[in-house]
Amino acid sequence: MADPRLTIARRELATLRSEKTIVLALLIQLFIAAFSSFLVVGLVSLYDPGSVDGYETTVGVTGDAADDLLRVVDEQSSIAGVGYASQASAERAFRNGEVDAVLLADRRAGRVFVTATVPDDSVRTTLVVVQLRDALATFERTERGDRAAFLSSTPLDLPPRPGSGSTPYYGFSYTVLLPLLCFLPVFISGSMVVDSVTEELDRGTLELLRVAPVSTVDIVDGKVWAAAVLAPAQAGLWIALLDFNGTTVRHPLAILAVVGALALLVVTLGATVAVLSPDRRAAQFLYAVGVLVAFGGTTLLPLNPVNTVARLAVDSVGAAYPAVVAGYLALGTGAYLLLRRAVPALGVGDR
Amino acid sequence: MSGRRERVRSAIRAARGGLRAVARIARWEVSRSVGVVDRRTAALGLLALLLAGAVGGAATAAGGVALDRDVYRVGVDTDSPYHEVVVETPALAARPPEVDRLGRGVEVVVADDHVYVADSRKAQAALSTFRDAVRRHNLDRLREERNESAAFPVVVTLRYAERTPDGVVAGGESGDGTGTETGTGTGTEDTSGSAGDSDGTESAPSGADGSTSGSGSGADTATGAAGVDAATGSAADGPLGVPGFGGAGGLFGGSTSGSPADISPPFPFGALVLAFLFFVPMNFVIQPYGSTILNERINRRGELLLVAPVSPAAIVAGKTLPYLATLVGVTALVALAIGGSPVSVAAVAPIAALYLAATFVGGMFARSFKELTFVTVSISVFLTSYAFVPAIFTNVTPIALISPLTLVVHDLQGTGVTAAQYAFSTGPFYVGSAVLFALGVGVYREEDMFTQRSVPLKFLDALNSRLKGRKSVAVLSALAIPFVFIAELLAVAVLFVLPVEVSIPLLLVAVAAVEEVAKSVHVYAGFRGPFADRRGWKAALVLGALSGLGFFLGEKLTAVVQLVGLPDLALGRAAFSSAGIAATPAVGLLLLLAPLALHATTTSIASLGATRDRATYLAALVPAIAVHAAYNFAVVSTLG
Repeated sequence: MADPRLTIARRELATLRSEKTIVLALLIQLFIAAFSSFLVVGLVSLYDPGSVDGYETTVGVTGDAADDLLRVVDEQSSIAGVGYASQASAERAFRNGEVDAVLLADRRAGRVFVTATVPDDSVRTTLVVVQLRDALATFERTERGDRAAFLSSTPLDLPPRPGSGSTPYYGFSYTVLLPLLCFLPVFISGSMVVDSVTEELDRGTLELLRVAPVSTVDIVDGKVWAAAVLAPAQAGLWIALLDFNGTTVRHPLAILAVVGALALLVVTLGATVAVLSPDRRAAQFLYAVGVLVAFGGTTLLPLNPVNTVARLAVDSVGAAYPAVVAGYLALGTGAYLLLRRAVPALGVGDR
Repeated sequence: MSGRRERVRSAIRAARGGLRAVARIARWEVSRSVGVVDRRTAALGLLALLLAGAVGGAATAAGGVALDRDVYRVGVDTDSPYHEVVVETPALAARPPEVDRLGRGVEVVVADDHVYVADSRKAQAALSTFRDAVRRHNLDRLREERNESAAFPVVVTLRYAERTPDGVVAGGESGDGTGTETGTGTGTEDTSGSAGDSDGTESAPSGADGSTSGSGSGADTATGAAGVDAATGSAADGPLGVPGFGGAGGLFGGSTSGSPADISPPFPFGALVLAFLFFVPMNFVIQPYGSTILNERINRRGELLLVAPVSPAAIVAGKTLPYLATLVGVTALVALAIGGSPVSVAAVAPIAALYLAATFVGGMFARSFKELTFVTVSISVFLTSYAFVPAIFTNVTPIALISPLTLVVHDLQGTGVTAAQYAFSTGPFYVGSAVLFALGVGVYREEDMFTQRSVPLKFLDALNSRLKGRKSVAVLSALAIPFVFIAELLAVAVLFVLPVEVSIPLLLVAVAAVEEVAKSVHVYAGFRGPFADRRGWKAALVLGALSGLGFFLGEKLTAVVQLVGLPDLALGRAAFSSAGIAATPAVGLLLLLAPLALHATTTSIASLGATRDRATYLAALVPAIAVHAAYNFAVVSTLG
């Protein structure tokens, strides 16, 4: 006869398959990932003038500092300036749609006061505002250069603009999307163990299992194993998918080891909560708060899980990274072994 | 006369008795839920909450969370002025300036007045981050300058003004003064009134609530995007560095005056973050609610209640009431805390109702706690993103009103909400939750509660419980409209970010698929239930036509959409074109009858397939969807 713990683990996975919940879980994760990506792509393209090719904003410039401002505006690639003699003529042009925005620049008290009028009604508003901001920031730099003598320190030169190969989504893909996809399965696994244990206790089927020649430790083992194996498997799937999509993930095995170790830790937490507080309502609440606290708390530490996964994925780890991974593994295994020792003392199912 | 009075009286008595039963069950539910919390659980909960408070405090003290700490490595000498920039930026790690290690250990090297960049996407991203960091560093330095007019020689005031909607037409009659009413005078001026003041750096006038602290450094879009995303993606959002709470940002959320770096596009970031607070309690409350529903079904516990002389509807109402009351109460508290008006509560209440309704159906369908967890997580994710994502575009497009959360953002920003907007935003939620509760109550009976049937079968059962006679097919079709509405608008929101050439055809197919499934799934259920003995092609055609008619009539309700001007948007027009909202009276009549013919035809195709089995039903859906999509495409391209 096979190891009873493996049998229990297999049974856990079999119910997942028969209820098709695993499909639902994958769909949820895909939905979250897709939606957050949509969101970021949408927001970035709303705010990034470079993402909209061939669209040039025309801006009417007027006021007594108009000439200086026009010179700067003309240097910008995505924005064209038209000078107007008076504010009234500029605003008429704005109303008639000849210009997308009006800049009224006046010199007063050693400063330039710019009133920017932008259209209120459209998706383009954000784009126009961003373009104006860039142009005005350049203008500010030149004006500041004229007053450099009055400043106690000179501002640092900006590094060059990134080249054409740069993407605004790079940071998001590795520091948000990848950790999200890696840790969602972990949280789901923990929640699953809470459900599994509380349901056995609730339905009284744990009593039946105890009649069989398996110990409580074996039962908890089987459930923990099944849930803990599932998380790295899903994370592996997401990593492969990201890789396929052109987001190369470095050190995949190390990442999977970290995810596995954390899955073991979180699943152990879930099992402990479920054993201590056998009503599902209370247990799920405690588990959710516990995981939020643990996870939120660790993000303050250097080398927290999210940061570790991100840095492993972009290869920003030093030669010491095996030690970090080993640390996570030790943490997960340690918690699991503690639970195993504690289970007989807790008297599961003796209610 | 007296007979009628007698009847009225007995009806009142019955209603009173029903209400009493509901109240009794609600009390019982509360006392039982409280009884669950034993001493150990309470102690653990207290411990967890204390820890949560400690972590929150620590996070605030430590200055927020940096998920991208040391992701990019910059080689820079310790005596270089850039070294300080690299050290104070969490995402950058300082390394020795070794140009030969470029690409292996460092991405960017600053050495002898040159910036060397490795040849990789990562290095480009690192350079971009570095550039932003230097810019921010410069700004911080300049803020400390004593000579303010030299440090910030340019002061910008941003003003939003409306233009005549059609610029081309207006351009034809330029020169005369007809356009004055849309002139800049009507422009929505920043209400906070800080416009044009001499102080360029301070741009955060104190808002309605004193708790906000506009940092004034302008909303960095990169952090903004990541922050919002983390907030929607998972509930595990710590205090991510929120750039300038919008409560203080004036009418448009973004800052409107200050140095050029301070102005930001209209993005209601702060209001959105605050609106998200309404969702946190919902995700916690639906967990126990789902548990209590499923608990009734475990070990036949609910049987006692079921045989008691109360209707299933009263039982469900009684069990739901405490949770709904809790949610509304918490929502009111949150609104009070963040400065929302009753409008916020009224806008969030239907969301709470839909959360509970969906969870109730989930609790009725799920076979185990595990399945229930997945169902509730799906509900949370789906509803949160449905409500949250459109609200991001609150100031950009009227389509944002598909989410009641947009009303909350409007409310928090101080812009008013009209009754039509409220009806449009919350209508689908009210009707949707009513329909879901009705479906769930339909299977609140012994043969469904205590059996382990699969979720799709239970769903068909629930539909069948509402099918009584042929007419009810039409009624169910009409009732499916809110869900069709929600699904279609979600599709609009998702496809919104794609270019119009791609999004419109995709949207047309998605809309056709959603509508065809909604029109035919209960016909399919009917052939497995009340109409099982009438599986002929005649019955299929009749039921299909009836379902199409019901849907057609229900779809007329989407004319409400016009109230808020949604069809002004190209995408909105594509989504609702088949509703028959005519552009001209001439094609009006044709367009009125054409969708009726379309719906009847396509649903008949699908219901013909539904008479056999699932495979033929799914196969028949394909031509139905194809015909529908082709029709939609024809309408959009002729009218478009």
